[in-house]
Amino acid sequence: MSSGGVGHRAPAGSERVLVIGAGPGGLEAARLAAALGSEVLVVEKQAGLGGTPIAESYAALTHGFRSAEEAMGEMMAAAVDQAGVTIQTSTEVTGVSGSAGHFLVTLSSGDPVEAGAIIIATGFQHFDPGRETQQYGYYEFADVITLVDAEKMLKAHNFVTPSTGEPPKRVAFIQCVGSRDRQIGNEYCSKVCCGISSKQAIEIRQQVPDARVFVFYIDMRMYGYWENEIYWPAQEEHKVNFIKGIVTEILAKGGRLVIRGEDTTMGRPMEIPMDVVVLAVGMEPSQGTRRMAEILGVATNKYGFIERAPESLDTVATSVPGIFVCGAASGPADLDDTISSAGAAAAKAVALVRRAEVPA
Amino acid sequence: MSLIPIEAIRRKPAPDPADAPTEDIRELLFELEDAGELIVQRVPEPYMEVMTKYGRTKKIPVEQTWHHKSCGQCGHIPGYSTSIFWLNRKLGLDYFDPTDQTSCTAWNYYASATSNAPAQAGVAVRNFAAALETGYFPMIHCATSYGHYKEVRHQLVHHADLRAKVRDIMGKLGKPLVLPEEIVHYSEWVHAMRDRFVEKQVYDFSNLTVTVHPACHYYKLIKEDAIYDPDIYGGERTATVSAMVMALGARVADYSTFFDCCGFGFRHILVERDFTRSFATQRKIEVMKEEANPDVTITHDTGCVTTLDKSQFSPEAHNRKVGIPVMSDAQFAALAMGAHPYRVCQLHWHSTDNRPLLEKMGIDWKAAWEEFSEDLARIERGEIEYLTWEDAGV
Amino acid sequence: MATATLAPALFTRDPGATLSPNHYTEVPYEEKLRLWEQVKADSRYSDYMYGCYECGICVAACPSARFYDFSPRKIAQAAGREDVELIYEQMNDDVWNCSQCFSCDRCPRQNSPGGLITILREVAVTNGLASSKKALEGYSRIVYKIMTTGTQVSPDMLQPDAFPDWGPDVRTVSENLDTWRRAMPPETHHTTSASWTVSKKTLTELYLIWHYSGVMDMIAQVDEGLHMIIMDVMEESLEEAGYEI
Repeated sequence: MSSGGVGHRAPAGSERVLVIGAGPGGLEAARLAAALGSEVLVVEKQAGLGGTPIAESYAALTHGFRSAEEAMGEMMAAAVDQAGVTIQTSTEVTGVSGSAGHFLVTLSSGDPVEAGAIIIATGFQHFDPGRETQQYGYYEFADVITLVDAEKMLKAHNFVTPSTGEPPKRVAFIQCVGSRDRQIGNEYCSKVCCGISSKQAIEIRQQVPDARVFVFYIDMRMYGYWENEIYWPAQEEHKVNFIKGIVTEILAKGGRLVIRGEDTTMGRPMEIPMDVVVLAVGMEPSQGTRRMAEILGVATNKYGFIERAPESLDTVATSVPGIFVCGAASGPADLDDTISSAGAAAAKAVALVRRAEVPA
Repeated sequence: MSLIPIEAIRRKPAPDPADAPTEDIRELLFELEDAGELIVQRVPEPYMEVMTKYGRTKKIPVEQTWHHKSCGQCGHIPGYSTSIFWLNRKLGLDYFDPTDQTSCTAWNYYASATSNAPAQAGVAVRNFAAALETGYFPMIHCATSYGHYKEVRHQLVHHADLRAKVRDIMGKLGKPLVLPEEIVHYSEWVHAMRDRFVEKQVYDFSNLTVTVHPACHYYKLIKEDAIYDPDIYGGERTATVSAMVMALGARVADYSTFFDCCGFGFRHILVERDFTRSFATQRKIEVMKEEANPDVTITHDTGCVTTLDKSQFSPEAHNRKVGIPVMSDAQFAALAMGAHPYRVCQLHWHSTDNRPLLEKMGIDWKAAWEEFSEDLARIERGEIEYLTWEDAGV
Repeated sequence: MATATLAPALFTRDPGATLSPNHYTEVPYEEKLRLWEQVKADSRYSDYMYGCYECGICVAACPSARFYDFSPRKIAQAAGREDVELIYEQMNDDVWNCSQCFSCDRCPRQNSPGGLITILREVAVTNGLASSKKALEGYSRIVYKIMTTGTQVSPDMLQPDAFPDWGPDVRTVSENLDTWRRAMPPETHHTTSASWTVSKKTLTELYLIWHYSGVMDMIAQVDEGLHMIIMDVMEESLEEAGYEI
């Protein structure tokens, strides 16, 4: 058996790559694996494709403010049109046996399928703000919303104060909701919320020019080009106010919301009326990720994400050889991370099913 | 401002205890008991179950309770503790009021720091051992004691050196190291039992507007151990006190400083009183008055009742917009069930004027005060030594 | 500093109303370090101090931060940085502003600035810092009350000169105290010198706890006179009960 090259065909191995999840990660992994010559089956539990950006009606992506629907539409078309890709929607994986090169997977749609490699692309879900240990009142006040609720309104070009239906005069974003918190148990940073909030802040300023927009943060995490493409324009062009000091309570006063925090620059408690408060909710493993981890027997970390060994430089390996992971199923990821890791997973999966050595 | 959670828009799913982000301290207690390190006093049956912040259930004993009293209550607002006992007696429940009980000494600890962890833990477990000796299960009257005892429980479970030291001290007293299975605040008992109070309610409270002040030491210390309910405040704030007030038919009005401390300050109420007085007035009473204009404000802690009740006199003299009667949930429930406002609720010890409230409740305070004045006269004449429970109708 | 015997101004927002920050003793760095090491050695320290990313939630929730120039965030930051000089200042001044309400336990890092302050105060008291004695002037009657009766307050403490700002009701209570205390059903409440009747045996046990845990030594640091009085009462009681300490 040669090492590293494409070569011998082992008997009774399956050449199929199974991709679980048809969000951005799954779509890209499927497209690339098929483009590299493999047969790919995508299994998606929802009725439609596109994953979270479509299911939750994202407006613009942080990537150049491109319409999520448009960008995802292209990704979906590319995968659907790619020869070698078969997609089964409204279908779930229910069981698995075998090992790398020879998996037998049972599906909710009926007959079991063979696969030589599996790619988990089941992504994340947004943190439920009802579990937050600060007092944000998401389940008490209609005008306290999440990033997801805001995306829907922005996509419809109808960003309003939910309780009145009127355009808001003052909007606040609260960062790190459900992340970076030992009391909740989600100690990690969810990576994308600072970028998304700043993007939404800009969109609100564009759609509702009379609104003053505030972002209350612990740190602004504007990695790489987000700093100059999003953060600086938000402050300089769009006059979004970034204030260091997170909010601890949201209550109602005189028919409006009032937020309470510390303006740490001034070193004083502050109390400000707001019309709408947007909670920048972080990422948690999705139900699909949790279930697949259990069914496929892959290790998860203490947060329930699929474990990538921290000392490993392999960004897509799981604890089970032949099963790969991409995107937010293994931890907070932005779109760049997801698409890159989908490519890496696809390449490694294809190499495996062609009976080359499993590459390190 | 409405209190009803916004069901039409979104409904909070009941928290799944499997997802709880904290340890379950009771499991650790039982482990330590199995290892022979301490004794855990079990909640007696029958008990009721309530839900705490992360969806776990908490056992609340119905009766056979050992009443861990509060200094400030018994000393300065005795209608508070009297009402707690009265509620038990009205329902025909068996309880015990011990003399073998010290103060929790938490006020001293938080105010003066002339104490330390072993002393505080020692005082706590001595009281718990005393309860165990009687076979009655401790029920804590003061929210400060309650919060502090939750803290002590956490420290004893997690610090073997503290445990050893305290066990040693208890040994010198001839007592074992005891912790109860649950640390129960009486307002949690009131919450669990509220439907039984409603059954015996004789006054109509539907015309009352109430503001609720939740005690910091009840829900901010060891946060997972406090009662929450997805139907009350959408599960976002503790349900204790509010649920009971609503069950009695009164309207709970929200106000924008709900989570603020009352300003008791522990040492401040004695030696830096302008802080306590100003804070209680400006951050709580005036806000409640302006935003909710309640007939009464109800709370469930000794320090909170004292602070809110006593801090209004001076501001009133300075024409501030104050003047809200203050009482505990126990007194409020007792009044609803026909308890005598003076023999039981001892409202004459309160500083704020609660007579308009009593009138609105439909209680003839004039007649009640006449009866009570006659009691006082009989005591002064030496005809009776004390008022009895029979005089209080239970 | 406002005490019960003065008539404090209403709604003063005067930091001078608290302990004056310039009136504590300067000591060598080694002494400040020694005090800080004592704080860290306390078994509760690891429960109260993790790391701080200066989110400000503690200050936002803090009642004292609204009234005093006080910041639980600065307490946590000073501790995290082990800024011994600043900690010594705080131990002599800021810590007495804290209301010990634990609203700051909302900290997402799970710090407890209020808890840190509890330890800082105890170290100040144990080491006899003059500022702690000053902060606790007017408080000794509470210590005396708990040690001699087993309850921290009592009905007979409701005297008009002790609580002038609570209104004329206090006078009414004090004038009718004995009768009023009889006019309530609970048997344990029929006392004016304690909040409830505490049995002698119980009081003895409390003394032993305070003795063996070292609290009596702390009281000696705060107020020697008080310590002597309490020791007399305690020793007599313990002798009667057959204990020798």
